[in-house]
Amino acid sequence: MGTPMPAPDQIDFSALPIYLPEVECTSRERIRAIQLAKLIEQVGYTYARVPWYRDQMDALGVTPADIRTLDDVRKLPFTDKSALRETFPFGMFAVPMDEIVEMHASSGTTGKPIVVGYTAADMDVWSECIARLAQMAGVTAADRVQMAFGYGMFTGGFGLHYGIQRIGGMMIPAGAGNTERHIQMIEDYGTTTLIATPSYAMHICEVGEKLGFDWASSTLERGLFGGEPCPPRLKAEIEARMHITCTDNYGLTEVMGPGVSGECLAHRDQQHIAEDHFLWEVVDPATGEPVAEGEMGELVLTPLDKRGIPVLRYRTHDLTRVTTEPCACGRTLARMQKVRSRCDDMLIIRGTNVFPSQVEDVIGRIDELTPHYRIVVDNEGGLDRMTVEVEIKPEAFSDSFEEMSAFAREVAGKLRNVLLVTPVVRLVEPGGIERTLGKAKHVDDRRR
Amino acid sequence: MSITQISVFVESRPGHLTRTLEAFAEAGIQVRGFCAGDTGEYGIVRFIVDRPDAAMALLAERGAAARTSEVLCARLDDRPGALARAMVACAQAGINIVYCYSLAATCIALSVKDIASAEAALADADIDLVDQAELARVLAGATL
Ligand SMILES: [Zn+2]
Repeated sequence: MGTPMPAPDQIDFSALPIYLPEVECTSRERIRAIQLAKLIEQVGYTYARVPWYRDQMDALGVTPADIRTLDDVRKLPFTDKSALRETFPFGMFAVPMDEIVEMHASSGTTGKPIVVGYTAADMDVWSECIARLAQMAGVTAADRVQMAFGYGMFTGGFGLHYGIQRIGGMMIPAGAGNTERHIQMIEDYGTTTLIATPSYAMHICEVGEKLGFDWASSTLERGLFGGEPCPPRLKAEIEARMHITCTDNYGLTEVMGPGVSGECLAHRDQQHIAEDHFLWEVVDPATGEPVAEGEMGELVLTPLDKRGIPVLRYRTHDLTRVTTEPCACGRTLARMQKVRSRCDDMLIIRGTNVFPSQVEDVIGRIDELTPHYRIVVDNEGGLDRMTVEVEIKPEAFSDSFEEMSAFAREVAGKLRNVLLVTPVVRLVEPGGIERTLGKAKHVDDRRR
Repeated sequence: MSITQISVFVESRPGHLTRTLEAFAEAGIQVRGFCAGDTGEYGIVRFIVDRPDAAMALLAERGAAARTSEVLCARLDDRPGALARAMVACAQAGINIVYCYSLAATCIALSVKDIASAEAALADADIDLVDQAELARVLAGATL
């Protein structure tokens, strides 16, 4: 208990569970055959039932009969978030409302939320996808799984809940907030697995440490993370301080919710895509044309058996690259690199494209800094100004203005080498950058 | 002979120094002297307190960036020219004072690279130097 997984090359993967080996470990040929059969059926289903798609396809002069190979997916129209927003709330639904057994909605930061509805069959696919990623992390029926996501309209809470139950694991539906109670419950109920956003897990860790809770001897073995990207450095810090193994999964409410892909223990920076349920493409975000396999581009997803709200070629705006090489864990399903940046996270500073993930990478390699950072962009006298706030570790404080200023300049220089833009670096005291409970807010663009 | 100084990294934002001072007050730590310097973005605040170990433990517990260093403490005569005399003694010995600030009463804290030679220079000029234990007596009744 409380022992993190050894390095990937020391793990006996044959001892770890695989939820659906007949799919997850099958040949690439068979996966493609499954995808093609499902794609043909799904396009016909969508065309027949959703007027919005019928109009789009008619406008492009494409019919379901034109889909004969997997590459033919490129003939289909893309779907953007706006389509789901414009048809609020139920305009994209493909079944009568009495076939919908559950609905969820994404947080609408601007305007109306995105509303999604699931049929019983959709719920079955969803919980199966979650069951797969939970087993990638080693969850079995013996596990006690504590939920620190909020339940409610957000897909993370219920989605993970059903998937864990499908394996036979015991759900402890604690819900969001009340950190001290979470720690008490871990102790009282012998929780083995914590479901949380990585930033909230870090918060639980810190509160536990302050209360004198001994993470090394606790029953907690792993964290299943989601809800926000998990920077490798933050994950490593949580693993070391809480003595657990942490994996995270990827998903979007618009195509299902969490569980589109999940991290196995062989490649900690990648996630196996549930390819029998999702056809993936990687395209150039500017042109929409496919990039070569293994190249970085925007992930486009087509759910292959989604009945409540079919979605064709959903533009995720997430940047990734995908490999179909077999994995040491035994699975043959393609692996996507964890999403570190979004097409629309891109900041244009004095005409140069800057991604927050680049800042994160640079910060992550500087020992004197914690992984927390914040980017503030404003405009002074017509010129863009980028300020990067970084937190120094207590032990890195030198008690000399000269040395601290030289260090700030050194950080700025390292950032400039990667970003090609010179930022102002502002040193902040340890703990000075807010730990958010939800989406980690790294960018404050005041130019808008 | 030297005394322990505590330096704390703080952001130049309202309330950031206050939090440290309130924590000291709550723990009954007496501040005997301090100086706060600032770049406009961050600051370093230096303290002389009655119980440096307790203050450091408190700061560590709060996750603050803080460290200790040794500084000289000179007790000056209570008359005109006493400060000048101390400075002249160091200058004549070629000792550069990195920074210097006054404590409660007529004591000054001097940060120098080489404590031993500065101590010798000041002692030669008959300037009274104070160690941690003596400081407590000298500054009894003078808490900031
Ligand atoms: Zn794998």
